[in-house]
Amino acid sequence: MALLEVSGLVRRFRGLAAVDRLSFRVAEGQTVAIIGPNGAGKSTTFNLVSGLLGVDGGTIRFRGADVTRSPAHSRTRAGIGRTFQVVQPFVDLNVMDNVIVGALFGASASLGAARADANRLIELVGLGDKRFSGVSALTLADRKRLELARALATKPVLLMLDEVMEGLTPTEERDAVRLLSDVRAEGVTLLLIEHVMSTVRDLSDHVLVMDYGKKLAEGSYEEVAHDPKVIEAYLGTDTEA
Amino acid sequence: MRRNLIAWAVFIAAVAVLPWLGVSNDRYLMLLANVMLMFMTLALSWDVVARTGQLSLAHGAFFGLGAYGVAIAHRTWALHPLVGIVIAACAVATVALALGVVTLRLRGIYFAIATLAFAEVLRTVALQFPDFTGGTVGIAMPPLFDGDRVLSYYLIGAIFVLALATSLAVRWTRLHYAVTAIRANETVAQVMGIDVVRVKVVLFVASATLAGLAGAFYMPFITHTDPNDAFDIGRSVASLVFPIFGGLYTTAGPVIGTILMRSLEEYLRVTPPWKEGYQVVYGLVIVVAVLFMPRGLLGLVQDLRLKRPDRRWAWRFSR
Repeated sequence: MALLEVSGLVRRFRGLAAVDRLSFRVAEGQTVAIIGPNGAGKSTTFNLVSGLLGVDGGTIRFRGADVTRSPAHSRTRAGIGRTFQVVQPFVDLNVMDNVIVGALFGASASLGAARADANRLIELVGLGDKRFSGVSALTLADRKRLELARALATKPVLLMLDEVMEGLTPTEERDAVRLLSDVRAEGVTLLLIEHVMSTVRDLSDHVLVMDYGKKLAEGSYEEVAHDPKVIEAYLGTDTEA
Repeated sequence: MRRNLIAWAVFIAAVAVLPWLGVSNDRYLMLLANVMLMFMTLALSWDVVARTGQLSLAHGAFFGLGAYGVAIAHRTWALHPLVGIVIAACAVATVALALGVVTLRLRGIYFAIATLAFAEVLRTVALQFPDFTGGTVGIAMPPLFDGDRVLSYYLIGAIFVLALATSLAVRWTRLHYAVTAIRANETVAQVMGIDVVRVKVVLFVASATLAGLAGAFYMPFITHTDPNDAFDIGRSVASLVFPIFGGLYTTAGPVIGTILMRSLEEYLRVTPPWKEGYQVVYGLVIVVAVLFMPRGLLGLVQDLRLKRPDRRWAWRFSR
């Protein structure tokens, strides 16, 4: 049984299908990357799976249960965690308290347990010396770290990462890849939206290529990288690829 | 946290002994003290909703609903005001629950407009059913505790302590994390596992009930209510101006803001030469305060203590 099973997913914006009859599965322990040109419907897919957007058709099953209609907060509690492409820390809380929020509500921890969890995760992502800093003073890389720590605090079984590498320097990128490998080693299943192809190659077991809201191809990194349809979709449309 | 709670215990003790510092026989000062506690309750209750990032313009209406609850209970069933207050509080809680479930999915300005409309609807309803509400004339009832202003002071004091406890609970429990996250970003708060609508509805109902209790006290205290007084928008405005002046999202802010603003208003009202146009002066003070200390008095004190180089003013904030 797949951990996440999406079938026939449809979402339209003013009649235009941003996600069009999309089906895919993520097996437990796997790392799956979703790639595709800008506007392919990757982030919309994340919003549908995390429950921030309602579906116009299709079903989403998580651990065998139909979660298509359940609200976002209960999906988080069921084990679907995520980060956002544009990081949005809670401004009136410091780094530590930001992470505590995730543990308190996403993982239903007591205040004491949430503090302990937050301490551990802040060390893990390398924000130990900034634990009591305000979030407005953080650099982009640190904000991304915080975003990851906060998502991990909800104790996800499936963690969806929306372009965590975006805007990082090559060194920071390498650190991030190492960090994600650690997270994966703890048994967390990862679903990534990623533009940086080296990250996709290094991390993912399986790659899903989207274009115009549809699945264009899927398979191992090597398979999709040599797929003529994929090359055609990317040529001249996305310089990063 | 402990120091904070001790400070509030001292404050409550001071409030409790106030009538015995030679004030209890002065009916004018006791009137001011009663009304002061009533407005502190309103300000604290409004701030609880503000912490979830919602601007309520319905608090004056909940106040009025509480007032009418007691009045109607007296007129229709001849119930004692203390029984009437309990009934009124239940009625306000029910109405607030219905309003909250419908409107708290709205964000920002839309919620504010919905609550404003609600207040107007209540006023119109009160005018349209004179058999029940007394129409424009309103309802009169005998004075609370036969006009004993010390007893009434302890009644509103108890209601104030309830509001204070609610405000402190929102600060010192897991609710603090929930509301601060919701205020910053509702979408992210959901993804962190917070049942955003439920938190907002629960706090809205608690807050409205406190405002209703204040109104349910006020009606028998001044012995009369009518639609224009009960649903006066000015009271909604007061319940948000005091916390903003004192310092939003805190417990001390609304309390200090109410004490200073109410004292100033009363002073201007009775002292020549301000007497005539005191509302103009009062209004100017509010404008200046909002421009120069957008985080309220507490924010200003904090800035001065930390000697922050750039004290942010409202016009810089608005960018």
